[in-house]
Amino acid sequence: MRGRFAVGEAAAYVAATAILAALVHLIVVLVVPLVATRDAFTRLEPLGALNETILLPRAGPAARLLPYVDPAVAMSFCRYDLTRGPIRVTAPSGRAFASISFHTRRGLVFYALTDKAATHGVIDAVLATPEDVRALAAHDDEEDPSRDLRIAAPAPQGYVAMRVFSELPSLYPEAEAEAKRLACKPELVPP
Amino acid sequence: MADFVKVLLVCGIGLGLGLLASAYALSRPSPFDRVRLGPWELAAHAGSTEADPYTRANLERSSEIPLAIGEGLQLIARVDDDGRPLDARCVYTVGPRVPPARYWTLSLIDPGGWPIGNPAERYGFRSSELLRAANGNFVITVAADVHPGDWLPIGRPGPFALALRLYDSPLGATAGAMDKTAVPRVTRVGCG
Repeated sequence: MRGRFAVGEAAAYVAATAILAALVHLIVVLVVPLVATRDAFTRLEPLGALNETILLPRAGPAARLLPYVDPAVAMSFCRYDLTRGPIRVTAPSGRAFASISFHTRRGLVFYALTDKAATHGVIDAVLATPEDVRALAAHDDEEDPSRDLRIAAPAPQGYVAMRVFSELPSLYPEAEAEAKRLACKPELVPP
Repeated sequence: MADFVKVLLVCGIGLGLGLLASAYALSRPSPFDRVRLGPWELAAHAGSTEADPYTRANLERSSEIPLAIGEGLQLIARVDDDGRPLDARCVYTVGPRVPPARYWTLSLIDPGGWPIGNPAERYGFRSSELLRAANGNFVITVAADVHPGDWLPIGRPGPFALALRLYDSPLGATAGAMDKTAVPRVTRVGCG
C-alpha cells in the first residue's frame, strides 16, 4: 500500500516537472522576439540615422555583420520610423535583378517589389501607417487620384532592404553604386 | 519540510529543462515550416508574417535579413544526396540543373551562415558566370583542393553547408510542391 502511494506521488512530481518545463519553454520562445537585442534592426542601428541609406559591406569572411548574405548581391538598407510620418522609397533598377523588401523591426517581411515593378527605371512606393494611408487617400483628387503605390506597414518601425545582383564579380562595384541610390525620404501628409 | 524540498526540486528541474529545451530549439532552424527537397532544405515562410513562433524567435536571434517570397528562395544543404553531413575532407559535385529562376547563386557557408575564408577568395558561383555544357547542364566541384572547371573551395576543415539562392523565381510559395529532380544533386565523389 505504502509502495503504491510512493509511486503515484513520484509520478505526480515528474508530471509537474514536465508541465513546468513545457510552460517555461513556450514562454521563452514567445518572449524572445520581444526582447531580443541581436535582431537586424538593432545591429543596423549604429550604422546610420533614420531614413539614411547605408551600404552593407560585401559578404565575406571578414565582414560578419549579418549572416546568410549572398556575396554576389550588393545590399543596402534604411531604417524607418513611421510615427514621424510616411516615407517615400525610391530605388533605381538596372540591368540585372534588383529588389526592395519592407521589414518590421522584428525582421518579418511584409512586402517586396522587384525591378519588374519599376516604372521608367525606378521602383517607387510610399510607406505609411494604416492611418496615414487613409489620410493620404482622403486627400486624393477625385478626378485624378494619385498613382502612388501606398503600403500600409503593420508596425511603425522597421527597415527597407535593397538587393542588387551582380552578374559578374567585376560588376559588383556597379551593383553597389546602384544599391547606394536607394532613397527613403519623408513624405508630407496634407493637413 | 520534505514536501518543501520536493516542490523546490520540481521547480528547479522544470525551469532548467524548459530553458535547455528553448536554447536547443532556437539554436537550429524551426522544426515546423521546413520543406525538404533531396539534400536541400527550405523555410517556406521564412520571413513572412505567417512565420511560426520558432521561426520568428530564430530570425530574431540570427539577425538574418530574409528573402521575401516574391524576391526569391534560399535553399540550404547540410547533407549530401545520401543524407551524410557535408565533410570538408570529401569532394562533392553539384549539378546538373536548378529550378527555374532569373538568376541563381551557389555559395559555401559555415553552419552559422557565414562565408568561409579561402586563398582563392571564391565564396560562390553565379548562374551568369558558369561553364556549361551545350545542353545547359553544369557541374560545380566542391573540394578543399584545386580542381579544374568550376571549383568552389572549402576553406577549412569541419562541417560546412551549401546555400542555393534563386532570384526572381516563379516557384515562390509553391516551392513545397517542387519536384525533387528539379533541384541540383549533391554527390559525394570521394573522401581523402
